Amino acid sequence: MHQEAAILEIIRIARSLFLQNRSRMAALLSTKTLDCKDLHGYLKTLSSYTLDRLYNHPATCLAVFRELPQLAKHYIMRLLLIDQPVSQAVIGLWANNKYINDHRRAVQALTDLRIWYEKPLPGGMQGRMVNATFKANMKTALLGGGKPWTGRGGGVLPPDKNSRDVEFLDKYALERWECVLHFMVGSTEGADGVSRDTIEVLKHSGLMKVEEGDPVPYITPAGFQFLLMDTGSQVWYFILQYLDMTDSRGLDLVECLSLMFQLSFSTLGKDYSTEGMSDGQSRFLQHLREFGLVYQRKRKEKRYYPTRLAINLASGLSGIVTDSHRQGYIVVETNYRLYAYTESSLNIALLALFSEMLYRFPNMAVANLTRDSVRAALIRGITAEQIISFLKSHAHSEMVKQTPSLPPTIVDQVRLWELERDRFKFDDGVLYSQFLSQADFEKLRDFAKEQGVLVWDNTNKRVMVVSRAGHDSVKRFWKQQKNS
Amino acid sequence: MVNVMKGILVECDPAMKQFLLHLDETEALGKKFVIQDLDETHLFVAVEILPILRERIDDLMDKLSFPLVEK
Repeated sequence: MHQEAAILEIIRIARSLFLQNRSRMAALLSTKTLDCKDLHGYLKTLSSYTLDRLYNHPATCLAVFRELPQLAKHYIMRLLLIDQPVSQAVIGLWANNKYINDHRRAVQALTDLRIWYEKPLPGGMQGRMVNATFKANMKTALLGGGKPWTGRGGGVLPPDKNSRDVEFLDKYALERWECVLHFMVGSTEGADGVSRDTIEVLKHSGLMKVEEGDPVPYITPAGFQFLLMDTGSQVWYFILQYLDMTDSRGLDLVECLSLMFQLSFSTLGKDYSTEGMSDGQSRFLQHLREFGLVYQRKRKEKRYYPTRLAINLASGLSGIVTDSHRQGYIVVETNYRLYAYTESSLNIALLALFSEMLYRFPNMAVANLTRDSVRAALIRGITAEQIISFLKSHAHSEMVKQTPSLPPTIVDQVRLWELERDRFKFDDGVLYSQFLSQADFEKLRDFAKEQGVLVWDNTNKRVMVVSRAGHDSVKRFWKQQKNS
Repeated sequence: MVNVMKGILVECDPAMKQFLLHLDETEALGKKFVIQDLDETHLFVAVEILPILRERIDDLMDKLSFPLVEK
């Protein structure tokens, strides 16, 4: 009896995920991949004024510096202690000609981030000068001095009576974060811990949507892609969206960012004081607490512990491994069976995004990968690559021992199912045929090619296809030709 | 004199092209829709047929595939 109830339960979850959104999904068929910027990409989008203010803290400078291209780091090190502009020609000589492209990239990155700017030398030559604020704070970061970064002014905290170890923090962070994910997949478990603010961020980022007359938001294709990303990328994407909304919450972006960068230099398992934080930063901290980025026993408590999620945050996307301490749980067999050794209903709901659930037991679930279930996922905008990488990154430790860890037949088949969906390419166009002379045809074809509107042509048959957008200009050209 | 016609350029593999030509010849969609047979992998078809065509192709793919797993 018990088992039957469990099966019914999982069928309910899987079905509701499949069906409830199918009709809505049809309207949202546009498949776009989630655009997830790295730190550099994000900072570039900020206004120059914001950037200049951001460099007011050593932690931000060091965090930005860490993410620079290798060559750019060298340039900054060379320029850091020079108090006058250095000519561009000299800087150009620092890199070997063979690496001219690396040099260009470094120069571009430094210019984009306003770390240096152009300044004419007395002789009229163009020189470069490091941003004064950046320089001062970078020096502090490297050479020491200045105020302590986290918990400024708070002095040394007395030892915590309820001190927390790393293990507890990891568990806490994942628990909090999974609340958000639970809410997204629409399962009821633990979803009550999600505040209005979080829901606002989810809606703003397009991961969830609200339909009129329906108070409960539902998940979008972008949201599905989001769910399949690893935890590190998820948090980073989510925080970017959050930062996007700081203005509408009355928070100061620079304050939030500098707190975020300070957190990223803190030590896991150590407690920090909230003293010296501005009002805005305290509010930001409360939000971070909700997502599991920091642990604070009580709201009024004067100390907090940053968790792994926060510490890895500022490195953006580059090479963060937050999931490594979490055990893989999926076994894939060549007969398209999935066995998930997990108790978490979130994990099972995630699997149900692209597989057909068969049985659910207290500590494991069995599912089938079928053409229909994978197609349903593809239609929602999840790509085959995402499914495969999800299976790979959550593979059970027994699976990881094999090479390759996933059966090649499964990987190939999932890709084939995706290819099957676009065996056809449809292009709106205009067909030109029955040219009287080869010269006429070639003249018109060359014109279309020049304009970049030629889609297809065949010289022997004297037939060509021009894109719909290019039709007008080609027609005009043809009329001119005929008249002249 | 040049003949100008609006439509949709379809690019696909030769097997699928034959399937489209077959649909056209047998008037399975109610009428002919191929405007011109361009080459091995290209066809030029009428615009209005596109939604029905997509549906038909989906049907075909459904028929072509068989369940790989037993429950």
